[in-house]
Amino acid sequence: MHGPLIETLARQGVTRRTFMKYCATLASMMALPPAAGRAMAEAMAAAPSASKRPSVIWLPFQECTGCTESITRSHSPTLEGLIFDVISLDYQETLMAAAGHQAEEALHAAMKANEGKYLLIVDGSIPLGLDGAYSCIGGKSNLETLKEVAKGAAAIVAMGSCAAYGGLPRANPNPTGAVSVADIIKDKPIINIPGCPPIPVVMTGVLAHFLTFGSLPELDKLGRPKAFYGETIHDRCYRRPFYDQGKFAKTFDDEGARNGWCLFELGCKGPITHNACATVKWNGGTSWPVESGHGCLGCSEPDFWDGGGFYKALSMPANPLKMVAGAAAVGVAVGVATSVLNRGKKGAARAAHEKTTLADLEK
Amino acid sequence: MSASLEKGVRVLKEMIDAPIASYFSSCVHCGLCAEACLFYTETGDPKYTPIHKLEPMRRLYEQEYTLLGRLKKMVGLSKPVTDAELGQWQELVYNSCTLCGRCSAVCPMGNDIVYMVRKFREGMSAAGHAPVGIKGAVNRTVNIGSPMGVKLPAVKAQMKHVEEDHGIPIPMDVVGAEYLVMLSSMEIINFPEYLAAIAKIMKQAGRTWTLCSTAFEATNAGMQIGNSDLARVIVSRIVEGAEKLKVKTVISPECGHAYTALRWEGANLIGRPFTFKVQHIIEVLGEFQEKGLLKTEGFETDRLTFHDPCQLARRGGVIQPQRNLMNMVAKNFVEMPDAGYMNWCCGGGGGASAIEEGEELRLAAFKKKKSQLEAVKPDRLVTACANCRIVLEEGLEHYQMDIPVIGLTELIAEHIPDLAKSEGA
Repeated sequence: MHGPLIETLARQGVTRRTFMKYCATLASMMALPPAAGRAMAEAMAAAPSASKRPSVIWLPFQECTGCTESITRSHSPTLEGLIFDVISLDYQETLMAAAGHQAEEALHAAMKANEGKYLLIVDGSIPLGLDGAYSCIGGKSNLETLKEVAKGAAAIVAMGSCAAYGGLPRANPNPTGAVSVADIIKDKPIINIPGCPPIPVVMTGVLAHFLTFGSLPELDKLGRPKAFYGETIHDRCYRRPFYDQGKFAKTFDDEGARNGWCLFELGCKGPITHNACATVKWNGGTSWPVESGHGCLGCSEPDFWDGGGFYKALSMPANPLKMVAGAAAVGVAVGVATSVLNRGKKGAARAAHEKTTLADLEK
Repeated sequence: MSASLEKGVRVLKEMIDAPIASYFSSCVHCGLCAEACLFYTETGDPKYTPIHKLEPMRRLYEQEYTLLGRLKKMVGLSKPVTDAELGQWQELVYNSCTLCGRCSAVCPMGNDIVYMVRKFREGMSAAGHAPVGIKGAVNRTVNIGSPMGVKLPAVKAQMKHVEEDHGIPIPMDVVGAEYLVMLSSMEIINFPEYLAAIAKIMKQAGRTWTLCSTAFEATNAGMQIGNSDLARVIVSRIVEGAEKLKVKTVISPECGHAYTALRWEGANLIGRPFTFKVQHIIEVLGEFQEKGLLKTEGFETDRLTFHDPCQLARRGGVIQPQRNLMNMVAKNFVEMPDAGYMNWCCGGGGGASAIEEGEELRLAAFKKKKSQLEAVKPDRLVTACANCRIVLEEGLEHYQMDIPVIGLTELIAEHIPDLAKSEGA
């Protein structure tokens, strides 16, 4: 297997074998057949020289650059980074050297040269309040820019919870009128990669899929790739056995917490959060939030910020035990009242009983 | 002439008790009872689903005794029970239910559906919706003394015949006898062998027994029509007779509902415990057999099978004695599929056989018994209920199956050594 990518990797000290392993891992994580790993490797290795590489435009809107940080600071050596070697990242404010008019020129040149073929990545939400004045680039509101760039895109990747669902900017009371990409663009294929930030390998996996097969992977009803968002954190959590045994940490410094018991009662949102953290982990497989002792915040679910408190346990919002006595008293009262009423009715019927004679069988 | 919807509804309100409330509220609508009912399995018509046969009573319960039902009735979501509806239900509550209890046996929630049908009949009869046939039977039982119109002279005539044929005196009105033997009119008219068999068996066992001139009829049409007031009148005769003669035990004849009326409902109807014990003749024979008081000789060699009467086996819990008795006198006794506790009804119990217009349905339901019989192909069919016997004979004749039906008690008696001979030996 030869090609510009293999040569570049070799210069960076990444062997061909490592690259193949990476592609195979990527394919298996996305639940693709084994042959897909090889297809991916071939497609990426055979990526043409710089001028012909698929164009990717990355638009940042109301965001914090966390998603960019996540994807660029992952593995070392940066296997995810190699993806950038097979694509032509024509516009990415944070990473590009150009600025001002030059940057805008690059954007328009890329749009013109690759019309209908480029992949658009969006991170950040789009503010609609005050005609979009809350976030402007080059004198244009994010709304205008998105509509303009989306027109010629082959597909759109909404990177991070803000682009996918509105994220933090959309949190109640949503002062900027933030919305997601899918709220605005209705005529292009959109893939949501939520997370605050998303897991790097999830981002690169989706990109690799697009590069290899020219299509988006299978999505769930919230537009997320099923391969990574098909199961809940809870179902894959290594602390799940403690949940099943009813062993819970009650505070962050009690014995349960030290024993690594389930964080459900400390507000873990794992049971309702679909993401791959529990299996893929973070920082090159070092750890992930639950492993470091904190419950899941549910950052890849829509409106996670307004979910009622990070430390509020999921299934006991009303503390039902507090109401047991009251509920029991009400139940008993209703029961007694019904019983008295029914007894009265039955008693009246019994009192009105007329002894049946043979004649009474006839009408 | 006072039966009316109002009266029926009032009686139903009176009948709905804690068991019924819990049964209705615990029904999960699984439909298992349908498969247990021969009227459903043989017709495939879902209206014969046992719990559906109670629908008007269920609605009344809901409307009168539950909060939700009251609300539904108030806003018109739940229609009141009408006279026409009860009329429509007559077929379901009487013709297509023999109170056989298979549905109660299979209910996964433990709901005694038969108990409810029995109570529903109280309301139906008070509303004037009991079938003419059963009404006639009740009338004859109350006025004449027996559902078939048999009077004491007929019993005396049979006694005389038996005495002449077998040379054994038949005691009547003997105070202080151990057993009071009851008869069903079916036995007096159609199967006089029964009386002879009892005489032989009692003589061999050396027990004292008697008939009662004021209470010879055991069947209780009042219970079948579902009227406690009338059932009480009928059962009281037996209680008075038994207490007058100071017997220890009253023996229910080979008649399923007579047994249920006496054994299970009787004391509740009169509102106090009996001063005597009630046993089915098969229980008595089983006891004699265990104590060695029953000695038989010889065996039947043809292929015999036993039809368990529902009231005896399923509702009464008497299952093993009849099998021990069969094996005592039969070499080739085979069991039908589902025999014993889950045996299929003959199709004519619970008063159903008295309903003329129900005959077609009864014969359709008999296909179940037919298939049971075809599975074992017996030469003769033995049972312990005169009503089963009549219904079985009718069904067998209709389907042109040549299988004679006999009563277990007479079969046993046939094998009791001739008295003259045994006395001589």
